[in-house]
Amino acid sequence: MRKRIYLFALVALLAVALLAAGCGGSKDAPKAAGGDTIKIGFLGGKTGAHAHYGIETLKGMQMAVDDINKAGGVLGKKLEIVEGDHGSNSSEAANVTQKMITQKVVAIVGDPTTGITKTAAQICQPAKVVLLSAGAVGTGVVEIGDYIYRDTLLDAVAAPAVTKYLSEELKWKKVALVTTTGLSYSESLTAIFKPALAKYGVEIVAEQSIMEKDTNFSAQVTSLSQKSFDGVIFTGYYTEGALFMKEMRKQGLNQVMAGGDGLLGQELYQLGEKAVEGSMVYAGFAVDSKNAVGITKEFIDKYQAKNNNSKPDMFAAQGYDAVMMLAEAMKKANSADPTVFKEALAKTKDFKGVTGTITFDANREPIKSPVYLQEVKNSEFVVKTVIPTA
Amino acid sequence: MFFQQLVNGVTLGATYALIALGYTMVYGIIQLINFAHGEVYMIGAFVGLIMVAVYKVNFFIALLAAMAVCIPLAVLIERVAYRPLRNSTRLAPLISALGVSIFLQTLVTLIKGDPNPLGFPHVIQDTVYALGPVKFSLIQVVILIVASLLMVFLEITVKYTKIGKAMRATSEDYETANLMGINVNHVVSFTFAAGAALAAAGGVLVGMYFNSINPFMGVTVGLKSFCAAVVGGIGSIPGAMLGGLLLGIAEVFGVAAGFDTYKEAISFGLLIIILLFRPTGLLGHPIQRKV
Amino acid sequence: MEGVLSILTNPYYNQVLTMMGIFLIAALGLHLITGVTGQFSFGHAAFLSIGAYSSALMTIYLHTPFFLNMLVGGLLAALFGILLGIPSMRLTGDYLGITTLGFGEIVRIVFINTKITGGAMGLGGIPKETNIAIVYILVVLTVFSLYRIQNSRFGRALAAIREDEIAAETMGINVYWYKIKAFAVGTFFAGVSGALFAHMMQYLNPSDFGFSRSFDILNFVVLGGLGSIPGTILGTAVLSLAPEFLRFVKEYRMLIYGALMILMMIFRPYGLLGNVDLVRVFRSLRSRGAGKGTVSGDS
Repeated sequence: MRKRIYLFALVALLAVALLAAGCGGSKDAPKAAGGDTIKIGFLGGKTGAHAHYGIETLKGMQMAVDDINKAGGVLGKKLEIVEGDHGSNSSEAANVTQKMITQKVVAIVGDPTTGITKTAAQICQPAKVVLLSAGAVGTGVVEIGDYIYRDTLLDAVAAPAVTKYLSEELKWKKVALVTTTGLSYSESLTAIFKPALAKYGVEIVAEQSIMEKDTNFSAQVTSLSQKSFDGVIFTGYYTEGALFMKEMRKQGLNQVMAGGDGLLGQELYQLGEKAVEGSMVYAGFAVDSKNAVGITKEFIDKYQAKNNNSKPDMFAAQGYDAVMMLAEAMKKANSADPTVFKEALAKTKDFKGVTGTITFDANREPIKSPVYLQEVKNSEFVVKTVIPTA
Repeated sequence: MFFQQLVNGVTLGATYALIALGYTMVYGIIQLINFAHGEVYMIGAFVGLIMVAVYKVNFFIALLAAMAVCIPLAVLIERVAYRPLRNSTRLAPLISALGVSIFLQTLVTLIKGDPNPLGFPHVIQDTVYALGPVKFSLIQVVILIVASLLMVFLEITVKYTKIGKAMRATSEDYETANLMGINVNHVVSFTFAAGAALAAAGGVLVGMYFNSINPFMGVTVGLKSFCAAVVGGIGSIPGAMLGGLLLGIAEVFGVAAGFDTYKEAISFGLLIIILLFRPTGLLGHPIQRKV
Repeated sequence: MEGVLSILTNPYYNQVLTMMGIFLIAALGLHLITGVTGQFSFGHAAFLSIGAYSSALMTIYLHTPFFLNMLVGGLLAALFGILLGIPSMRLTGDYLGITTLGFGEIVRIVFINTKITGGAMGLGGIPKETNIAIVYILVVLTVFSLYRIQNSRFGRALAAIREDEIAAETMGINVYWYKIKAFAVGTFFAGVSGALFAHMMQYLNPSDFGFSRSFDILNFVVLGGLGSIPGTILGTAVLSLAPEFLRFVKEYRMLIYGALMILMMIFRPYGLLGNVDLVRVFRSLRSRGAGKGTVSGDS
């Protein structure tokens, strides 16, 4: 008897689920046909291990949409964000990208990571929807097709410029290179730093690798303590960077580190405390509110007003710029049709964003200038020098 | 260099051992791989952080507070998610444990607001003691002392107290122990409580040592500690300590020897090799197949 | 009818159902190992990754036809299944489970450190060959072959091993070899599933094949009803659609997902369709329809 009840309950459950799905579908349809708003998708993890990037990107996007809508919208229509949370899981990312496309988004901003951007790009390109990643820095992204863009500072441009500065101004001659293996960002950056260091005559005296989410670096640091070097080039993320420096101080090593925007986040000094004082981070965006000017300052102020005075990070700023660039391209093309405005987007030149000036080159790769080399001083990022790249 | 790495390895191994004990005790009694144990450790670390950062208490109070939160939590988990499944298939409580694990990770992430790691305030000075060429930091000393004390305490409890005797009896034969008048439900609850207390201590110690805690920290540490328990012989308390130390030392020396990119694989590789030669671990009893 | 058409033409439904079908093939493979033979495997995702990477590399560098690559992917996964099985099938229960889990992690770390697979940067540029029709034709083939296997001498031997290894052995079944064979067949399907996954996603990353993926697949098999093919299908359907249906609860999604796992196990410890004999239920429903009203006994 009980078995049948379960079976009926099960059938009923499935029926309800299917009905819900059916209703969901029909509700979406008229909205899209009405078309009184222009929909922009957000692709990123709001949950899961990489949720931080997603949450910040979305905050930046929402600020841009609010600003644009307050000023009258685009082509007489308001912008609307369709959220696609994938829980930091690639097969779900594929599902949700497809879902946003059926909800008639004209463009998707995201994903903050290179891997998932590639997965999403494979779906957006044939569907003729623009994908503008506000975080992907790895190789092989825009090569996927002419609907795929990104607005990040490319390490291939920035790292050599920074290396030149380290070698010529700070007189670094010997460095230890630390890579987070298993992290594509870090491995790519190491691959860029190596030839750059060689070019400017800096010798790599020790190479160590660590793993993402590792917290124990005692073995690596003990090995480093046998060598002499001027500084550490650290190509991973801030969590590991902060803890690595702490372990160095614990073992009596006093060198500072330099690294890419993976180190940029208040967690660096919150976790690293005194150990990261003097450490250098380059990025296309400086959170140094005292020295910021123009729209960057406005952005920082507005963000702080909205978020309990906490500072915006690069992802929020890039999310903001991404939406602004899309809106400008639509205005220029006088169309919200991705097959049309993607041409205008590709021609973006000297776009003044909160993260600096952005131009797309012939291969649709972003050229951003300048690079801000920032230093941790009294638990804050302070701009040490501004290096123009273009 | 060698002795320095040995000190690093033993410290890491001591934290693995603390967590491995929880796995091994639970497994010894109800043959369940308690995959949610890593999350108890994670919550212990967070409670410790809150006590230290918000209430500014000293390290030992924080340790006790973490235990005080984790013990009822683990007992509750057992009551809700495992006890109803005690007589069903082996896989049912395992899936339920995974459910608990996902639930707790998400809950902590939601309460915290994001999954980013948090630092741990300095409750213990960065003093470094030198013993010849080998350096001990104060925190390493504290970890070794606290871990050893807790393990000795556990060993005494299991060997010489009434509840310890009941635990051993239940682990030997659940059914018979029940028939002999031992309240096995109490024994199981006590086992979860003891495991949780050690894991909570492990969480606070690791949080202080490595200075970073996050909602997903229980996953890899949990898996590795479980490996340690299996390597030592699951069900065996000295086995868990031995397994933990062995894994900690192997990991540190593996990295030092240049296998740093394979660090995560070292524990698992060691596990597989040991199981192939000693199918029930180093100190485990051979399985008797009953007909 | 309209509903069916919209599922086929709506790219979102198409995508979700294709993914579901791909994981269903992997789950059916695990069903043979865990459900039918009773052997724990917590590293199934490793075999998916072997099938995925090998077939993708063949497509990219050798330009051989997709179906051949998929077959090779499956066979290679099965080969690794056998290689892992030879030493580890002497272990039982949880020891086997933890060994396979360790193997799964090692495979993932090897892929991270391998140059040709793109390491941690992942492998891109895989052409799209998978579509919903291919996936569901293969699902039907998989289900059909598993029914044939389960109802063969081989399948009954596997069931005997699950019920009582010693009794099976005394009946003249070579338990060790039968387990390895079951492992080989199960991992073959995982390899095929991985090949389909690679040519669907067009980009592979070792992090797609961590132990959480292995446990997801194990969930599909256990939650639907261990040892039952309809149960595995139902489990896969419910659990791969659940995250999509739960989208509206936003960040509480995984909280509910975790709670659901606990509740489903407590209320249906043998799985949704565990202990339900569909043929009998169908017969009793039909005979009730004819006015007889017989009900199968409860257990």
